[in-house]
Amino acid sequence: MDALSIIPIQFLHGLVYGMLLFLVASGLTLIFGMMGVLNFAHGALYMLGAYFSYSILRWTGQFWLCMIVAPLLVGAIGILIERFLLRKVHIHGHAHELLLTFGLAYIIEEIVKWVWGNQPLHVEVPAMLSGSIQFLGITYPTYRLFILLISVAVFAVLFIILYKTRAGIIVTAAVSRSEMVNALGINVPLVFMLLFGVGGALAGLAGVIGGPYLITNPGMAGTIIIDLFVVVVVGGLGSLPGALLASFLIGELQSFGILFVPQMAIALEFLLMAVVLIVKPEGLLGEKA
Amino acid sequence: MRRSRFTWLPILLIIALLLILPKLVSEYRLNLVITMMIYSIFALSYNMLFGQGGLLSFGHAAYFGFGAYATVILIKHFSLSLPMGILIGGLAGAFLGVTFGVFVVRMRGVSFALLTLAFNQLIYVTAEKWRTVTGGEDGIAFMRPNLHLGGWEIDLWATLNWYYFVLLVTVICIGCLWYLTLTPLGRLNLCMRENEERASFIGFNTYASRLLIYTLAGFFAGVAGGLAAAFQEFVTTTFINLDKATDVLMMTFIGGGGTFFGPVIGACALTLVNDLLSSWIERWAIVQGGLFILLVLYAPNGLSGIYLSLREQWDKRKRGEQPS
Repeated sequence: MDALSIIPIQFLHGLVYGMLLFLVASGLTLIFGMMGVLNFAHGALYMLGAYFSYSILRWTGQFWLCMIVAPLLVGAIGILIERFLLRKVHIHGHAHELLLTFGLAYIIEEIVKWVWGNQPLHVEVPAMLSGSIQFLGITYPTYRLFILLISVAVFAVLFIILYKTRAGIIVTAAVSRSEMVNALGINVPLVFMLLFGVGGALAGLAGVIGGPYLITNPGMAGTIIIDLFVVVVVGGLGSLPGALLASFLIGELQSFGILFVPQMAIALEFLLMAVVLIVKPEGLLGEKA
Repeated sequence: MRRSRFTWLPILLIIALLLILPKLVSEYRLNLVITMMIYSIFALSYNMLFGQGGLLSFGHAAYFGFGAYATVILIKHFSLSLPMGILIGGLAGAFLGVTFGVFVVRMRGVSFALLTLAFNQLIYVTAEKWRTVTGGEDGIAFMRPNLHLGGWEIDLWATLNWYYFVLLVTVICIGCLWYLTLTPLGRLNLCMRENEERASFIGFNTYASRLLIYTLAGFFAGVAGGLAAAFQEFVTTTFINLDKATDVLMMTFIGGGGTFFGPVIGACALTLVNDLLSSWIERWAIVQGGLFILLVLYAPNGLSGIYLSLREQWDKRKRGEQPS
């Protein structure tokens, strides 16, 4: 492979990882922007999606079924977490919410190790997605393009719901004026709970499609949560387009970082995060608090 | 932070107990107590930020690890004495603390947590990749040098001598940290936690004060890191990783950040329990996580907070009031 053709391939690699990251980060961003809760357990929910998918696939052999059932299960867990745990510590402030979700992430990781073991699991993708496709003179695995497709579709749906429908208006209004929206007769706690469920389901979906691509193992939550925090900080608190931009940046930064400065590649994103927090604490596309 | 003169008695008793401890327990248990003492310093330094300052940090392992690497590298390459090496470990922690602190202490709440996390990961990645200096994931092994006092040479390789050395350093460090809470700076730390705006209106430079506190917290974390490295005669990236950063958070929180000795209780309890129960109860980590969540939900001031509220109820009952 010559030097020129490696650049579009690296670009695609970065794009695919970035978009998968966006899929996980979208739920985290919504929850953080709206409730101010930085959900440390979000990576763990993503991991649960991947493991649920593994088990459902073993019982039924239906990948498409996984894509529906696993997100629903993870979404339900998200709802339970919000209703029975987070709501209780809300009065103690955001630091306590962060501590609670940190404890949850810790427990979920240990439970996953207990139930599914420490070893990485191999998840088979369906036959129609397992080959590769030729386009513009590049051969690229179909499954990665499928990740790209799903992520873009989710972004489109979320964007339309959030900015063009009544439900979206309620959500965005509750971000800035939660008490006012409550006074107007909308059940804000219920909205919070459902939003947590949707966030969890998105993480679960990302786990299902990310599991076969990034290996399904008990360390996957810890690996992605750091990237997720970088995305949320760099993109801007609660900004969906910001999360998309930041995910794309981090995907490409990692992809080309490994190509050009392999020793420094992982450090680049933390540098980016630190610089953004110091120079523009509200993030690239975030609104000033 | 209410203290009466009677609290000196238990402290003196504990020190006396620690002094005669080698006569009472096996060498294995003695090593466990050494671990507890080292983590007590680490947790107390963390509590300057967490309990007293009201700042949630996810990056305190950076100073612990940086101190550990500084101690090991300087002892190994410049054959420094051990006390000097550990002092330099502390100074390295303070240096890193002031460098990152310049940016970090401007933040509050979640931003503070995230920026400390980012800096922690930067240091971690550097230690992992800069193999020529840090040895990467393999780490660096070294020999704990003997202590020369005038004409005497004390063999620190013997567990007994090493135990007394760590005890001495621990008592000095905890004494300093205790004294700090009594100084105007320590008081200001509490004041800034409660109401930073008021603190700055009174005329305090809250930025400089926070920076100084952050630097001091880095210093004591560095000392703890240097001791830990000398104890294991080894330093590796696990001294800086996120697990180390969250361990100290767990210790401090479980013990309780609201009292001075809460973090010590947490450090000792977690070290002991990890050692004893991890072999008895399978999946002890799940129990530990569950305990942590229960405390977050029902006892946000940790074990020492439970004790304090029980004592308060007891006092009320003694005075004949209705317990609330």
